Amino acid sequence: MKLRGEATTLRPLAWSAVAFAAGTLLNADRVPAWVSVAALVLLAWRMWAAWRPTRSLRLPGILVRTLLAAVLVLGVLGRFHTLNGLSAGTALLILMGASKLLETSSQRDALIVVAVSLFLLLAAVLDRQNLLRTPLYLVQVWICCTAIAVIGYAPTSAPREPGTARGFDDRSALKLAARTLLLATPLALLMFLFFPRLAGAFWALPRGDLATTGLSDTMTPGSITRLTGSYDIAFRVRFNGPVPPPAMRYWRGPVLHDFDGQTWRRTFTGPYRGAPLEYLGTPYRYLVLLEPSSQRWWFALDTIGRRPEGFVFLTQDNELIGTRPVSDTITYTAVSYTDVRSTAELTAGPRRRDTQPVRGNPRSHTLARDLRARAGSDGAYVAAVLDFLRTGGFEYTLTPPPLGPDSVDDFLFGTRRGFCGHFASAFVALMREAKVPAHVVTGYLGGEWNPIGGYLIVRQSDAHAWAEVWLQGRGWTRVDPTAVVEPERLNRGILDLLPNAVSAEARLVRASSSLTALLQRWDAANAWWTEHVVKYDFNAQVGILQRLGIDSPDASDLGWALAGGLLLWMAWIAWQHARGAPPPQRDRLTLAYSRLCTKLLEAGIERAPHQGPIGFAETVRQRRPDLAGPVGVLLSQYAQLRFGPVSDDDAAGVSTFERAVRQLVCRREARVPPLR
Amino acid sequence: MSAAHLRTYWQLRMASWVRRRQGPDALPLTLHRRRIYILPTRAGLGFLLLVFLMFVAGLNYANSLALFLTFLLGGFGLITMHQCHRNLMGTSLRAASAGATFASRAGTLRLELESSASTPRYRIGAAIETDAPLVADLPANGRQPIDLSVAAPVRGVVHIDRLKLTTTHPFGLFRAWSWVHAPLRMIVYPRPSGTLPMPADDAQNAGKLARGGAGADEWLGLRPFRDGDSPRQVDWKAYAREAPLLVKEYSSSASELRLFRFDALTGLSIERRLEQLARWIVDAEAQGETYGIELPGTRIEPDRGPQHRHRCLSALALHERQETSR
Repeated sequence: MKLRGEATTLRPLAWSAVAFAAGTLLNADRVPAWVSVAALVLLAWRMWAAWRPTRSLRLPGILVRTLLAAVLVLGVLGRFHTLNGLSAGTALLILMGASKLLETSSQRDALIVVAVSLFLLLAAVLDRQNLLRTPLYLVQVWICCTAIAVIGYAPTSAPREPGTARGFDDRSALKLAARTLLLATPLALLMFLFFPRLAGAFWALPRGDLATTGLSDTMTPGSITRLTGSYDIAFRVRFNGPVPPPAMRYWRGPVLHDFDGQTWRRTFTGPYRGAPLEYLGTPYRYLVLLEPSSQRWWFALDTIGRRPEGFVFLTQDNELIGTRPVSDTITYTAVSYTDVRSTAELTAGPRRRDTQPVRGNPRSHTLARDLRARAGSDGAYVAAVLDFLRTGGFEYTLTPPPLGPDSVDDFLFGTRRGFCGHFASAFVALMREAKVPAHVVTGYLGGEWNPIGGYLIVRQSDAHAWAEVWLQGRGWTRVDPTAVVEPERLNRGILDLLPNAVSAEARLVRASSSLTALLQRWDAANAWWTEHVVKYDFNAQVGILQRLGIDSPDASDLGWALAGGLLLWMAWIAWQHARGAPPPQRDRLTLAYSRLCTKLLEAGIERAPHQGPIGFAETVRQRRPDLAGPVGVLLSQYAQLRFGPVSDDDAAGVSTFERAVRQLVCRREARVPPLR
Repeated sequence: MSAAHLRTYWQLRMASWVRRRQGPDALPLTLHRRRIYILPTRAGLGFLLLVFLMFVAGLNYANSLALFLTFLLGGFGLITMHQCHRNLMGTSLRAASAGATFASRAGTLRLELESSASTPRYRIGAAIETDAPLVADLPANGRQPIDLSVAAPVRGVVHIDRLKLTTTHPFGLFRAWSWVHAPLRMIVYPRPSGTLPMPADDAQNAGKLARGGAGADEWLGLRPFRDGDSPRQVDWKAYAREAPLLVKEYSSSASELRLFRFDALTGLSIERRLEQLARWIVDAEAQGETYGIELPGTRIEPDRGPQHRHRCLSALALHERQETSR
């Protein structure tokens, strides 16, 4: 079948299809597979129909297209139950773009497909801004601009005569687009640096269902192992000042109070009320770059001094909870202490909550009562329990056997093999049996130091669970029963202790030191990217102005910087522009000749445009016989130099001619004899 | 005032402003920056909207990368403006000539475009006034003719007031154009029509008109072939000897002498008469005859050849002429 309209030849169509396919692929991992597949099938259909116009594979008519579009919209609705939201919107955009491609025949249609591709790029960028994906985004911009060029060139009416000009082919289009984008880059950088960034969103689009990662607000003793296999980064920390020793790197997450015999759960304890804490020891100042997790937890080192800036609040348990799930990388600064003390009394509510008896588990109940009776104080009881764990033949392993309904008894007196969750859970249970207030704290322990970037990487595999007990005169005190069983855990990551915990690739990486170094470099680049590019904001802009020597800069200074830069850029472009079209070069002879003509014009004799030097000499002879002699010689000299045979002393002749023209004096005559 | 009226009014205002601003032009003419106008196309406005939407989204989500891409595309748009402007700059209109045509048949306006740039200038369009332009690619340092078709509904003269050179290349986001005020005339002959027989040799005038005076078929010589010569007069034997195409010329008395007289055609309207005269001229020329015309106030002595034909037909075209302005 013929393409309707015939305005679109194969090339513009192919380029819009390439742009659209690239846009689809950029989003392929965020939308259901059937969406991408359907889009690519429709695209292939369109291209095949355009390439091999046969009767067997015709393009659908308006009815089929309408039905198809309706089915696709219903498909998206069925999958997402909404059309609002980034994922659903992207899926819809992909499917509608593919349907549009199916009916693309005019230049305008092809441009619409390219516009859809650019929106797909926007959707991908809004979702992820990795360093790794950024080159892909730039390539997509390049493809789209090339497509615009090819579509814009599309021959319309006059066929090119063969041999007149090398066509504007794909290579020229790619080169032109690249060149144009390169010229635009300074402007883009300038605007990026100095365009004032407004804080806050005008509206929020639901992000759709992203996979949640990281710690959750429940814990069964074995659940932490789900995380330890993951090499993904939870967050990065850059310290401003002293760095805490490895054994102090406890990153606090959800605090769990309620235990039903199997699972620990979180109860909301209300906002932080400023408990009278004494902060001892070194304050640690640091910046956290929190990776997206789709959860609301923010993490801080041990005990945080005060709530960080941002959409987050601090709970009674010193947890940080964001106002909405973390869907983009977040940065925040905080101050923490690893040594705090509270001499106050524990109030009744928290005490009741953290001394709830554990159901069942009769043997641990007996054990707790025995140990507590022998210990003189709560502190001595804690030491006794830790001693029990140390000497009881417990084994630290990632593959513990399953536990029965009385999970604490089963672990302490049966399997004796467990992971941090098991130890923390059993320890807190024993504390509560003896009416010592205690709860489980989950979070991360440790982190890998990146010497290239000078920051700490905390991975999901560093997930950990420990306990906190209330001791009179000290307040909440961290106790890590796992450290008693496996003291090395404090100083080394889980990957070193239990190499089988992680995937084969991660093991391979850790085995090779050069690969590790390489990855550290890459991660440092990523961290830099996140910190300085992705998280570039108003404060960073002000910082740049300060470094440029402006005292206490504000938004208007940004405006000035932007305006100045823009002017410079425009001047540069104008210069490029003018340079691109040099004035036609005139040689010395032509210049001298035009000088001669100007002199004669001033003397009242004008050379008609059609006149050559000989004809002009005749005019001069008629109108100014007094000048005819010298000017006639000059003109015939010029004619000889310009049109005569080429000889070796032409250069000397031109110089002589120039000199003679310069020396020629033509006075204007008052009376010009009338032209006969 | 309707939208169409407003549009026409605006176009006229702009046209007169441009004319006052630029003054008259003489060919050859090189387009320089002061006479190139530029505005975004519809696609350019769409692109602007797209960039704006991306900008708002980037700002809303405080998404650095989206903002950067927005700025990149915005800068891209600005650069395309410069490129479009430059694509037209430096293009020369070497010559423009309109060949004569018959009424109700389209005439051809041939424009000779030249580029002195070292790279090809793609998609340079040329148009008469506000017609849809015809586009061509100009080679680097080369020339390219463009033949525009000019509608000629009635006989007379079509005045072509101004020409437009335009381009949207590259990217098609902007349209740059330039007006050239080089007045051109295109003669429109009357449409040859009518079935009256050609008047026979006018005996009364024969002696007076005869050239050479000799009665017999007098061989005058050979002359080069010209468009419009009858194939019967071609010296095919000479041509077969690989000589150029030559035409045998005889003294005029050899063929019939015809004088087509306007006044002789009574009972017809002026236009019908002119059309009939045009018919005879075309036929007589095709048959290699010698003919002349007589119009009120004009007389063209018998002769033949394309030049003569043009003179005769032009006289018809300009008889109480009708002017059409484009």
